[in-house]
Amino acid sequence: MLVVDGLTCRFGTKAAVDNASFAVPPGSFVGVIGRSGAGKSTLLRMINRLAEPTAGRILFEGVDVTALRGRDLRQWRARSAMIFQQFNLVGRLDVLTNVLMGRLAGIPSWRSLIQLWPEEDKALALSALEQFDVASLAAQRADQLSGGQQQRVAIARALVQEPDIILADEPIASLDPRNTRIVMDALLRINKHFGITVLCNLHSLDLARNYCDRLIGMSAGRVVFDGAPAALTDQIARELYDLEANEVMGSASEDATAGVDVPALGAAEAA
Amino acid sequence: MSKLPAAQTTELRARYPQVFDRPVSARLATPVMLLAAIAIFVFGLVHLGFSPARMLGGMHQLGWISMMMLPPDPGSSLPLYLKALGETLSIALLGTTLAAVLSLPVSLLAAKNIVPSNIFRFPVRRFFDAIRGVDTLIWALVWINVVGLGPFAGVLAIATSDFGAFGKLFSEAIEGADRKQVEGIRASGGNALHEIRFGLLPQVLPVIAGQVLYFIESNTRSATIIGIVGAGGIGLQLAEQIRVLEWQKVSFLILMILVAVAAIDWISSKLRFAIIGRRAVA
Repeated sequence: MLVVDGLTCRFGTKAAVDNASFAVPPGSFVGVIGRSGAGKSTLLRMINRLAEPTAGRILFEGVDVTALRGRDLRQWRARSAMIFQQFNLVGRLDVLTNVLMGRLAGIPSWRSLIQLWPEEDKALALSALEQFDVASLAAQRADQLSGGQQQRVAIARALVQEPDIILADEPIASLDPRNTRIVMDALLRINKHFGITVLCNLHSLDLARNYCDRLIGMSAGRVVFDGAPAALTDQIARELYDLEANEVMGSASEDATAGVDVPALGAAEAA
Repeated sequence: MSKLPAAQTTELRARYPQVFDRPVSARLATPVMLLAAIAIFVFGLVHLGFSPARMLGGMHQLGWISMMMLPPDPGSSLPLYLKALGETLSIALLGTTLAAVLSLPVSLLAAKNIVPSNIFRFPVRRFFDAIRGVDTLIWALVWINVVGLGPFAGVLAIATSDFGAFGKLFSEAIEGADRKQVEGIRASGGNALHEIRFGLLPQVLPVIAGQVLYFIESNTRSATIIGIVGAGGIGLQLAEQIRVLEWQKVSFLILMILVAVAAIDWISSKLRFAIIGRRAVA
């Protein structure tokens, strides 16, 4: 159980996230929706502790995550795997090494620094890549891959962290509709087959309605909606998105959001 | 083709007076600046005793020296010169490598994205500036007094002055690195060393390698100069031959240096492309 309690983050006088409170039971697929600048990214970054909260607490299974330091903090970061809009892979490292970065918190520093990866970690990384059909690219430089391939590598990196939660910060914002579908299906598969909680920032309301069991709506840093997708009426959506409402509600429906049935393991489309 | 309407000069003149009647100060600014610059230049020439007569008088001396240089001929000293050239190349290579190896860890401390605190970063940056502010030649004279004449002093001289230069260049390369890639490592649970090793180094290594290669190239020339003040290598031979007016040997030595610099230039450009190429660095 992830509990966010009165979480606030201020940059100067502006509150990026203002007194956010909610609880996420294990295994949920939660979509965080709202306009650009509503505080969705900051919220996810605070949970992974990439951003420091100004006030409030984050609890995971009773442990106060906001108080963690040093080794414990690194292990928490591994347990709450981040997926980024811009993938955040190291461009000049090969794909396999990028995925192995997900094992850093688990093995002694001297081993990882001289790249003496344990056999089973390499096997784990390769099998994660295989699940998303990118194992054949293992020896290539990450910056030579297409956006969709890079995001699948990033998901593989998140998966080998053996996380309890995956925090996906606008994972599909840099992708075309086909890759959007592949990446969202991958997240859904991870959620349903491995029971990993997914917290996913989404700009598109259609995607959020199709993939998530629960939506958290944010506006100007505050949580203004929390409930099942069915409970999100058009009127609330309009308030949430204001002028952008027509744009986010209508457009993406043609080919990115057709199905919500859980795809089988290893069934991702080839790139 | 359309015909432009005739311009209403007087009317436009009244509406945009500043275009037609520019103030005297604005009109005179350029010629005055130009005259001032010429005056300063002429004053400098006069003050430093520049005399066309002496130039012309020395011109036939220059022609004489050039004549004496032909054909270039090492006499019986070719093996000695080759050894000296090898020494110069080793001074450049060892000095630059030493400087790069020493300054890389220190340059991390001078980079804003590694050490955000101004108070800690400032002394490191000033330290680099101070070392860089003293020329290689001066460092050579200092080290000759410390460790004695010879190539060892040359290596130390190049290592010292380039330590300062590399410190600045490396820290700037590190500051230019993409933050997102480093963040990817941090978010996966890496510590500060992992962030540097896997997030930063792969990004900056090609830049750093290019800079080191260029410095090896340029230091081959510097190593010649510091040889003249006694730090060993081919510069020492060159200075001696000029002193005893053996112009054929001088021209031969100059040709040797030119060939060596061209060869290093060629090798380093090959290496540079191999390093920044499309291969994964791990």
